Amino acid sequence: MSMADEVITKILKVSNGLGIHARVATRIVQKMQEYSCAVTLTKDDVEVDARSVLGLLLLAAAPGSEVLVKAKGPDGGSAIQEIARLIQSDEPQG
Amino acid sequence: MNLKDREDQTRLGAAAASEATVMLRGIGVSSGVAIGQAIVLERVATEIHPRRILRTDEVEPEIARFESAVKRAADQLDQIRKSIHPEHPLNGHRYILDTHLLLLEDRMLLNGTKNAIRTECQNAEWALSENIDRIIAAFDTIEDEYLRERARDVHFVGERVLRILMGRSEDKRIDQLPPHAIIVAHDLSPAETAQLEREQVLGFAIDMGGKTSHTAIMARSLKMPAVTGLERISREAQTGDTIIIDGGTGVVIVNPDPDTIFRYKERREIYRKYQQSLMAFGKLPAVTRDGDRSVRIMANVELLDEIEIAMEHGCEGIGLFRTEYLFLGRSDLPSEEEQYEAYRRVLLRSRPNVVTIRTLDLGADKIPTSLKFEKETNPAMGLRAIRLCLSNRDVFKVQLRAILRAAAVGECRLLLPMISCLRELIAAKEIVQEVKQDLQKEGLEYDPNIRLGVLVEVPSAVAIADLIAREVDFVSIGTNDLIQYALAIDRVNEHVSYLYDTLHPAVLRLIRQVITAVQVRGIGVAMCGEMAGDPVNIPILLGLDLDELSMNALSIPMIKKLIRSIGMDECRDLTARAFDMSDAQDIHFMLEEWIRERFPHDYFVDQPQQGNERHEH
Repeated sequence: MSMADEVITKILKVSNGLGIHARVATRIVQKMQEYSCAVTLTKDDVEVDARSVLGLLLLAAAPGSEVLVKAKGPDGGSAIQEIARLIQSDEPQG
Repeated sequence: MNLKDREDQTRLGAAAASEATVMLRGIGVSSGVAIGQAIVLERVATEIHPRRILRTDEVEPEIARFESAVKRAADQLDQIRKSIHPEHPLNGHRYILDTHLLLLEDRMLLNGTKNAIRTECQNAEWALSENIDRIIAAFDTIEDEYLRERARDVHFVGERVLRILMGRSEDKRIDQLPPHAIIVAHDLSPAETAQLEREQVLGFAIDMGGKTSHTAIMARSLKMPAVTGLERISREAQTGDTIIIDGGTGVVIVNPDPDTIFRYKERREIYRKYQQSLMAFGKLPAVTRDGDRSVRIMANVELLDEIEIAMEHGCEGIGLFRTEYLFLGRSDLPSEEEQYEAYRRVLLRSRPNVVTIRTLDLGADKIPTSLKFEKETNPAMGLRAIRLCLSNRDVFKVQLRAILRAAAVGECRLLLPMISCLRELIAAKEIVQEVKQDLQKEGLEYDPNIRLGVLVEVPSAVAIADLIAREVDFVSIGTNDLIQYALAIDRVNEHVSYLYDTLHPAVLRLIRQVITAVQVRGIGVAMCGEMAGDPVNIPILLGLDLDELSMNALSIPMIKKLIRSIGMDECRDLTARAFDMSDAQDIHFMLEEWIRERFPHDYFVDQPQQGNERHEH
């Protein structure tokens, strides 16, 4: 199996103040433009594209909820790290 | 002052019939008073979008028309976004427009619509409006209030594209704006709010929206008075009408009489003074001029959103966090996790200050319980608050678990409402103990040393304040209910409400009794309730040696300023004189006189109250 096909998964706890709200969802979509991997987030059996702001909002990931992040592609690991940073810091930077 | 407020409302009500004055009450989302000329932007709530089945040869051009409308909408939003200067107060909210721009690129929105055009042969307006409705319906099932509100953002983006499709590409705008314009609309999108000319627009009043809408958040940043949730203001007001909006109380008056205008001009001055000079006092401690006494000034809060405002206004903690909103407007009970998250967020936002969480203070008719519930003839004296919790231990335990767990992240106090005898307090304490043991066994993090207090609001609790003091870490006096119970007056009953008097000699004596009985044991006494935020009462509350006053956040800077301007000698003197008087009106008159004499340039006496009780009763 080549690196490009490798699927990385990680369960992340949403621990910022408001959950995956408008600002965070927007930052995730914007940041994901810098990556080439496919990334999805899953919660309660609903899987959404990390590049869809509507999908992320409809995930209804309130603070304290857990989401499964799945990335497929060479830069999947760092994409997941980026998402973790965004959903776990109280004031997402820039 | 409550009496005075009521008189004013009655007078307005009378005027409504003869002079076409209309008074509406909505949600004040951004404080301040604005008096100006109404500019009504739109009247129709939802427009009817044309529906047409396409011929097959029309399908591809229709998709192209849809795509170009989306492109145009994105260009418009981008332009608005770029027009926000980095030093503009809305710069921090630019992301809202980024979100809207990303929604316009979203596959769910685009593909869903294009598919309907292609496969159902629906015209673009039809396909898009149905798609938007479906997406919004999906948001409606979200439990979290803040996340659910984001449906409004989808709505606004959809509306923009629909307007373009229907040939009305411009935002609602006004060519010749009068200098003192107050915008009235069914709704305002964040994009439209961002375009309001701050030099000309004094404020806005809209039918839709709540406290957590993006539009409301933006109004606060603009420091522009705004009232939302008025339901029918866009139908009641005409362009050109004189209109008053009070963004603190949520009151909007169309075509006010000259008296009312005069009164609100005074109020506007009060607010101006706030903005110019009072805010600085929020940062200072509430110490009397002579340094003899310092009081902790706290805020009464209901929504997470209000904490920031409370902190900006200089609160030193949350003296009352109401939890009822978590339980209202739903058919099930909030889970432990949902409550835990809500309390945890409040505690995190308030750090390093203390938060006092009041356990459920509702009547049995307001929540779904396992108990067979019969309509009570007298709900104020019925199964409510702690009584309801003790008879529904499961509900109570879930809330206590959530509070105790959340308390691990910040300084938290637990406040039990409506305690009327010691047995109830002991029973509640036993349950708290049980819950702690459970959490310990389960290995969950919690605060084992959470401070526990009683909200003294039933006269019997006043009488046994000495006994209560043996069992608790603090006491808070809830004046709103205490006055009702002590004077046997239902505040909302118009026939007797004139008897509701904060400064009734009996009320003052009840308060003194609690303070004396409790402080003897070295325990602090707080007061929450409207009485604590009313400047007229301050000298007496200081004279009685209260340790903590909890009030509406907006009152804090003014109250701190007042406390810093007076000395304990005058407080003690006024208190002694008040206790010598036999009539509430005389006491009130004396205090008003005093405040006018001492502070002739501050109209403390007419300070508008902010209603914070819209959920209760």
